[in-house]
Amino acid sequence: MYNYISKVIRYLNANSHNNKAQNVNQAEVVLLSTLAKNLDNLVEHLGSINAIITRYLDMYLMLSTDSDPANLLADMGRNLAHQDISMDINENITRIKNTFGHNSDLDIRHSSFNDTKDIVYASLYIGSLIDRGMLNDLSLALIKFDQQCRDAKRSITIDELTGYFSGLTDSSERSGYETLCDDLLSGNTVFLINGYSKFFTIATPSYVGRSVEEPTSQTVIRGPKEGFTEKTINNILLIRKRIKHKDLRVETLDIGSVTHTMVTLMYLHKTAPDKVVQEVRTRLGKIEIDGVLEGGYIEELIKDDRYSIFPTFLSSEKPDSVSAALLEGKVAILVDGTPYVLTAPALLVEFLQASEDYYHHFIISSMIRFTRFIAFFLTLLVPAVYVAVTSFHQEILPTSLLVSIASQREGVPFPGLIEALTMEFTFEILREAGIRMPRAIGPAISIVGALVIGQAAVEAGIISAAMVIVVSITAISSFAIPNYEMSNAIRAVRFILMFMAGVLGLYGVFMGLIILTLQLCKINSMGIPYMTPIAPRIKGGNKDTIFRFPLWQLKKGSPSRRGTHSSVKQQYPVVSKQKEEQVVR
Amino acid sequence: MKLKMLLGSFFLLFPVFLTGCWSSHEVNTLAITVCIGIDKIENGYRVTEQVINPKAIASKRSINESPIILYTSEGQSIGEIIQSLTTQSSRRIYHSHLRMVIFGEEVARDGIKDILDYFMREREYRTDFYFAVAKGASAKEVLSVLTPLEAIPGISMYSSLETSQNFWAPTKSIKIIELINLITAEGKNLVLPSIEISAGTAMPNSTEVLNKDTGIKKPIFTGLGVFRKDKLVGWLNEDESKGYNYITGNVKKTVGTIYYGNNDRITIDVMKVKSDMEVYRVNDKPAIAVNIDMLGTIKTAVGTLDVSKEENQSLLNKLSEDRVTYFCNKAITTVRTEFKTDIFGFGEAIHKKYPELWGTIKDNWNDDFVDLPVNITVKSKVTQLGQITTPLFGEEKE
Repeated sequence: MYNYISKVIRYLNANSHNNKAQNVNQAEVVLLSTLAKNLDNLVEHLGSINAIITRYLDMYLMLSTDSDPANLLADMGRNLAHQDISMDINENITRIKNTFGHNSDLDIRHSSFNDTKDIVYASLYIGSLIDRGMLNDLSLALIKFDQQCRDAKRSITIDELTGYFSGLTDSSERSGYETLCDDLLSGNTVFLINGYSKFFTIATPSYVGRSVEEPTSQTVIRGPKEGFTEKTINNILLIRKRIKHKDLRVETLDIGSVTHTMVTLMYLHKTAPDKVVQEVRTRLGKIEIDGVLEGGYIEELIKDDRYSIFPTFLSSEKPDSVSAALLEGKVAILVDGTPYVLTAPALLVEFLQASEDYYHHFIISSMIRFTRFIAFFLTLLVPAVYVAVTSFHQEILPTSLLVSIASQREGVPFPGLIEALTMEFTFEILREAGIRMPRAIGPAISIVGALVIGQAAVEAGIISAAMVIVVSITAISSFAIPNYEMSNAIRAVRFILMFMAGVLGLYGVFMGLIILTLQLCKINSMGIPYMTPIAPRIKGGNKDTIFRFPLWQLKKGSPSRRGTHSSVKQQYPVVSKQKEEQVVR
Repeated sequence: MKLKMLLGSFFLLFPVFLTGCWSSHEVNTLAITVCIGIDKIENGYRVTEQVINPKAIASKRSINESPIILYTSEGQSIGEIIQSLTTQSSRRIYHSHLRMVIFGEEVARDGIKDILDYFMREREYRTDFYFAVAKGASAKEVLSVLTPLEAIPGISMYSSLETSQNFWAPTKSIKIIELINLITAEGKNLVLPSIEISAGTAMPNSTEVLNKDTGIKKPIFTGLGVFRKDKLVGWLNEDESKGYNYITGNVKKTVGTIYYGNNDRITIDVMKVKSDMEVYRVNDKPAIAVNIDMLGTIKTAVGTLDVSKEENQSLLNKLSEDRVTYFCNKAITTVRTEFKTDIFGFGEAIHKKYPELWGTIKDNWNDDFVDLPVNITVKSKVTQLGQITTPLFGEEKE
């Protein structure tokens, strides 16, 4: 007790040199008096006080420049005073009603045991969150219990009742007002008993949600077709179903001061490097934000290089991909409310690999993966190189090709760069429209789209036929990249390269490529260099990058060995610099 | 701070756009030259450029336009004349895709040194175009001939020269580096392919003629023009050109016919030729032995000779050896008696083997060359008979 108070005073003294000295003294008084008043409660709930005080101190230190410490401390005092529930059931109910502001879906039912109504209890729940069937079962059980007592013609005591409640499935005895509110908001049913300072919580949450369906953004020909859903509980199940091992660890955090989103960390103990796991845990712990509605929030807040457009978390809709990542020693972050699970550390090569690569014959897979790498470079470079060659370096083309391009460009009014930008931009609009528009008018856009980047545009003399080919190659190549975020990043780089090509020719393209390589080598994912295992090179690590070697040749512990459990702890190069920055919204 | 840096770099980028894409030139602002012809006029040159008309090449609509445009200008300096062509052309004339340079006969006889300097010095030229000398017509006339099949005559001539060089003995293609090396080399002189306009019913100078006529005139490579230093001194005919190419090892594949008796004509498909020049020193005088090895198959056999018989094989070998020896000797004789210039590179071979000997004779080489003993040895092997053995109608019984 004394420690806390002295800690507070020390903090206050440390800050008292500023112009709020008088406020601080005043605050000190308020604090001390509050603490004294609630000494009993404080002793009982040391743990939660610790949390409260720490939170307020953090807040105070952070906001010390522009907030009144007196108000803050008074607020803290109030919090400490009101953290427990009252013995009087009516007082509690009134308080809850005030807290929830008379929500229409907050149901409060008064009941009583014994005809004498000496034991009054109330069941509380938020009607929209609970499962009606479970509630019915619960009510029936209570009625039965009451009936039994009536039949036995005896009155029951509070002890008996609490004993009965403890025996119910998914029930727990709890205390504290904040806990009560949280329980209600989690879809539980809360029982308050008159004359009892604790309450009972019975889990009755509704599991309404999408059932497991085929993923829409990552389709496979061969391989499991299950996809994650918005419910974390289901998602954990889908992963656990695949990895039946005692080392699979699941840690749950509550992130978002308003949304209270359940964020779950999953990793294979002993396989995932401790440093990486600790790093993820620390970074998640530092997040302060009102709401988390999708994994993207988490990704943006804990990313290593925040300004880099390249994704450093691999998002996947497929449980098999995530399981494979876990087996490789990666950490999965599951965010409640989104079917996308993030895995980290994510390396550049992983964004060009598909889970299906491991389900086919390795030569076929290598061939397909090689195609994908080619597509990666095509979508990055084709428009830029086309612009550079047709506007700057006509001499490097074979004569017959130049003649052919020249004849196509005859009568085209724009220079190559403008032509390319127009077409690429049109395609981007088309692509965006295709995603945003209502499904029902889908066919309309394909018809119009074929006109604007097709033969009609060529015949109108606005663009050349070669440009249509270039845009089409770029487009289909970009679809061959399995990851949507990576495909977006490449889109952005493509435009930059096109600009540089239009201004400086191939010289510009190469400058752009050098800068791109530098950037890729610079960024990290959870402390792991992004270009691993290419740079830094890991011996044996390149057996599963551009080509996939047969499973029996993939060494145990290579960073990208999928689908095989390895027991090597340290698979990555040393975790570089730890992020010390505070993550603030 | 970061925003300021971002804005700063953004503004720094603006001037880049303001310069209007330095040195960029769109394809449709270029006049692509494929062929340059240079003729002699009174005190100066007349340069003709054959420029592609992309509109006519576009395969979709068949416009009745000539696929090429000729620009001609006159003056004293090649560089100046070519630059002045921009006054006629709406587009910048672009030379990187030049395929052929054709010298008029008079220019070639006058010397081509001064012209070559321009082609080497100007940065826009690649080094992969061919040279030829127009025979019996001016370079401008050669350039104005439209060709069927390949719409652009420059490209047509280029491909024709390249293909024939591989499959037909009398032609030889020469690019600029080799050309200049040959002019500056001691003990070896230059030859250039000669181009003529073939006999025909009509001169295809418009697409109408090209479309209508079948017997039109075409540009055709006939033989070689012989140079002394950079000056043309005369022409070799087809047989002599063949001989030249056999001696210098320039034959890749060719076809030749040998005659036997009165009616037998056997055409040999020469598959492989290896030529080897050996230098001997006899009484402080050089002597040359040229050994030619060749491998052939029978392409056609007309007559009664049963080519499938073992004993006839050696006969065939003998006949084909004689034939090639005849070509070679003919070439050497002609060059010696008429032109007195060592185009075969005998001098160079002597220089390589006996440098000190070469030092004593090099000053007067082109005259000494006339007396140089040259021995041609041909070894031929006609091995394969083709898809049938005996001549189809060889043994007709009467």
